[in-house]
Amino acid sequence: MTENNTSQRFDITVNIDHLVFDGRSLFRDLRFGIAGGAWTCLLGASGVGKTTLLRLVAGLLEDVSSATVSCSDGEELPGRVTYMAQQDLLLPWLSVLDNVLIGRRLRYETISVTDIDRAQDLLAKVGLGGDTARLPATLSGGMRQRAALARTLMEDRPVVLMDEPFSALDAITRVQLQDLAAELLADHTVLLVTHDPLEALRLGHHIHVLSGRPAVLDKPLVMTDAIPRDLQDTTLLARQAELLDRLRQSAAEMAA
Amino acid sequence: MLRTLTLALLFALCGAISSANAQDKITVMLDWFVNPDHAPLIVAQEKGYFKAAGLDVKLVAPADPNDPPKLVAAGKAELAVSYQPQLHVQVAEGLPLIRIGTLVSTPLNSLVVLKDGPIKKISDLKGKKVGFSVGGFEDALLSAMLSKHGLSLEDIELINVNFSLSPSIVAGKVDAVIGAFRNFELNQMDIVNKPGRAFYPEEEGVPPYDELIIVANKAKATAPTNRKFMDALEQGMQYLVNHPHESWGLFIGAHKNLNDELNKRAWRDTLPRFALRPAALDTKRYARFAEFLLKQRLIKDIRPVSEYAIELP
Amino acid sequence: MTVFRPLLVFVILIAAWQILVMLTGVQPFILPSPAKVATALLDRGDVIAGHAWITLGEILLGLILGTILGTASALAMGYFRTARQWLLPVMVVSQAIPVFALAPILVLWLGYGIGSKVAMATLIIYFPVTAAFFDGLRRTELGYLDMARTMGASRWAILRQIRIPAALPSFASGLRVATAVAPIGAIVGEWVGSSGGLGFLMLHANGRMQIDVMFASLFVLAVIAVVLYFAVDALLKRLLHWQPDTQPSND
Repeated sequence: MTENNTSQRFDITVNIDHLVFDGRSLFRDLRFGIAGGAWTCLLGASGVGKTTLLRLVAGLLEDVSSATVSCSDGEELPGRVTYMAQQDLLLPWLSVLDNVLIGRRLRYETISVTDIDRAQDLLAKVGLGGDTARLPATLSGGMRQRAALARTLMEDRPVVLMDEPFSALDAITRVQLQDLAAELLADHTVLLVTHDPLEALRLGHHIHVLSGRPAVLDKPLVMTDAIPRDLQDTTLLARQAELLDRLRQSAAEMAA
Repeated sequence: MLRTLTLALLFALCGAISSANAQDKITVMLDWFVNPDHAPLIVAQEKGYFKAAGLDVKLVAPADPNDPPKLVAAGKAELAVSYQPQLHVQVAEGLPLIRIGTLVSTPLNSLVVLKDGPIKKISDLKGKKVGFSVGGFEDALLSAMLSKHGLSLEDIELINVNFSLSPSIVAGKVDAVIGAFRNFELNQMDIVNKPGRAFYPEEEGVPPYDELIIVANKAKATAPTNRKFMDALEQGMQYLVNHPHESWGLFIGAHKNLNDELNKRAWRDTLPRFALRPAALDTKRYARFAEFLLKQRLIKDIRPVSEYAIELP
Repeated sequence: MTVFRPLLVFVILIAAWQILVMLTGVQPFILPSPAKVATALLDRGDVIAGHAWITLGEILLGLILGTILGTASALAMGYFRTARQWLLPVMVVSQAIPVFALAPILVLWLGYGIGSKVAMATLIIYFPVTAAFFDGLRRTELGYLDMARTMGASRWAILRQIRIPAALPSFASGLRVATAVAPIGAIVGEWVGSSGGLGFLMLHANGRMQIDVMFASLFVLAVIAVVLYFAVDALLKRLLHWQPDTQPSND
C-alpha cells in the first residue's frame, strides 16, 4: 500500500461510460475531476445519484467495469480515502477514544502511546477533550459528528469523502461543524456531497450540480477564496438563490 | 394437572347442559385406552344391558391415567375403572372413593425380563436396571418381590420409563420392567420376536389383589344407579363367559381399530381373569392387602375395609 | 427496591391462590392450598432439593450446549451458503416439531440418564438462539460495513469487531427466550423417562396422589425458572452495558 499521509497531493479523475444502479441508468458518459488539495462539492436533488457517485470513488461499488477512478500520480485510490457519512457511524460499544482509533484496530495495527496521544489531541481539537472515555449513546448528535470528524482526521488519509455529514444536525451545530471541518481539513482533498446549496457555497472550491436522468454534471462554479466563507457575504446569498433555482429545475425534470 | 382441570371444566359444562332424562347418564372413566381388559363393559354396552337397565353409559378413555379417580372423587364422573392397590393409597390421602365392583380379579402386574436374557431368577437382578411406569406403587411391589430373594431396592437402579415398558426392555435399555401387564406386554414382546418371561408378584410374596376395580364417589355409593350398573355388568360378564367368540365380534365391531394380533392374544389371555361375580367382595382379601401396604409404608394406617369397599345391597 | 416489587407480586399471587381455594372449595387432591404446599415443601425439602439440583443441572447444560451450537450455526450460516441451505431447514424443523413428539425417540437413543434431558433442552434452545444471532449478524448497519471497508479491514476483522458486537443485542433477545423455555425441555425429558429430577418427582407424587408434593415440586421449578431468567438477564445487561435502554413511555 502506498504511504499514507496528507502531504500527498494528487488529482482524481472519474470516468464513467455507463452505470446502472437498482435497474436504472444513473450515469452515461460522465467525466469529472476532483482537484487535489481543494474541496469539491456535489449538489443535487434527492435520488439523482450523488451517493452512488461518492461510493464509486470510495471503492464501495461492486461490478463497475464500465467506470474508472484514476489518480494523477498513477497510484491506486483505495487505501488512500476516509469516509464520513450522514450517520456518525460510531460503534456504540466502544468509547469515543476507541472509536477514533478504530481504523488501526480494524487493520490489526499496534496502537502505540503516540497514537493514543494523537487521538486525544484530535478529540481536544474538535472540542471533546473531556469526553474521551464516554460511550456514544451519552453524546449529543453534534458531539458524535465531532467525534466522527476526529476519527476521520486520525486516519490521516489524503482524500476525504463526505456524504451529507452535517445534514442531520440543527442549524447552529451545522455551521459550527462546517467551520471546524474546514479548519481541520484545510490541506485535504475533499469530495463533499450535499443537498444544501449554502453549505456548498461556504465550503466548496469547486461546486458541481448533478442533475437529469441519466445524470450529468454541469460546469463547476469555481471559488478560490479561503473556506469557510462568511454567511453574511452577499454574493454567497445571491449564488444560493441561483443554485436553489437550478436544483428546483432539476427536481422537476426528474419527477417528469 | 392442566388436563385434569380442563377435563373437570368440560364435565362441569356437561353437567350443566344435561337435563333430567328417561335414562340416567353415567360416565365411566376407563383406566387406559379401550383394550380387552374392558371386555365385560363393552359387551354389556353392545348387548344393550345398560340401556335395558335405564342407564345411558358413556365409556371415556383418560388422557392421564391418574385422572379418573380424581374426577370421580371430585364428582365430575360417576364411576371409574381403577386399581385396588391405588385405591388404598388414594383413600389414605383423603380421596372420597369407594370400590363397588371388580372387573379383573387377579393381579395383572408382573416383573418381566427377556426370556433369552441373563436374568434367570429374581436374585440375578442385583446391580441391574429396572424400569417402571408411573404407578406410584410399583416400587413397593418390586421391593416385596426382591426381599423374598434377599435383595432390596438399594440393590437395583429404578428408572422411570413412563409408558414405554416394552420398548425399553426390548431395546435393552433396562434389564427388567415392573408394571407390565402379563396379558399385554408379554404378547407385545412375543409379536416383535423378543419373548419375555414374567415373575408374578402374587407368587413372590405379594398378597393377591384385584387389578381392575370399579370405584364410585363415596357419598353416592349406594345410589340405585350403581347397583343397576353392576347388575348390567354382571350380565355382560355372563355373556362373555358363555359366548366368547361372539363377544370378540362385538368388541371389534365397536372398536374396529382394535382388530389386530396384539388385542386378539390379549383377549385370549384376559378371559380367565375376569371377576365372574363383579359385585362380590372378599373383605379379608382387601384387609390382607392393606396390611401389606402398611408394611411397605405406602399407607400410614389401617382403616376398616367397609370405609373404602362395599358389596352393594 | 428492585427486589421489593417482585416479592410483592409473589405475595399477591399466593394470596390470590389461597382465596381461590377457599372460595371454590376445590378438593386438595385437585388444587391444594398454599399452606398445604408449603408444608409439603418443608417436610420433603431435602428430597425436593435433591431432584431440583438434577433438573437445574440439565437446564444449565442444555443452555450452554444450545448456545454454543446456536452461535456456531449462525456464524456458519452467515458465511457459507451451503451451511445456510442445510441448516435453515433443520432449524425450522427443530422448532416446528413439538418436543413432546421427539422426546420418546431421544430417550430411547440416549437412555434414561441426563443425556436425553440435556439433548431436549438443547433442542428447544437451538432455534431461538440461532435465529436471533443469525438475524443480528445479517442486519449489521451498512454504514459500519462501508466505513470498515474503506479503512481496509479484512473479512475476519469485520466479523470480530463489527458484526458480532453489533449482533449481540439480537443474540441477547434470543438467549432470553431460550432461558425461559429451557426448563420445558428438561422437564419433558424427565416425564418420558428418568430416574431423578423435578419432572420425575412430579409424576411420582401424582401417581401416589401426593398432590401437595407435586405442587411443591412445580413451585420449586417455577422459582428455578424465574431466578435463572433474571440471572441471565442481569448478565446480558452487563455485557450490553453500552446499549441505551429507552422505554416508549419516556418519549
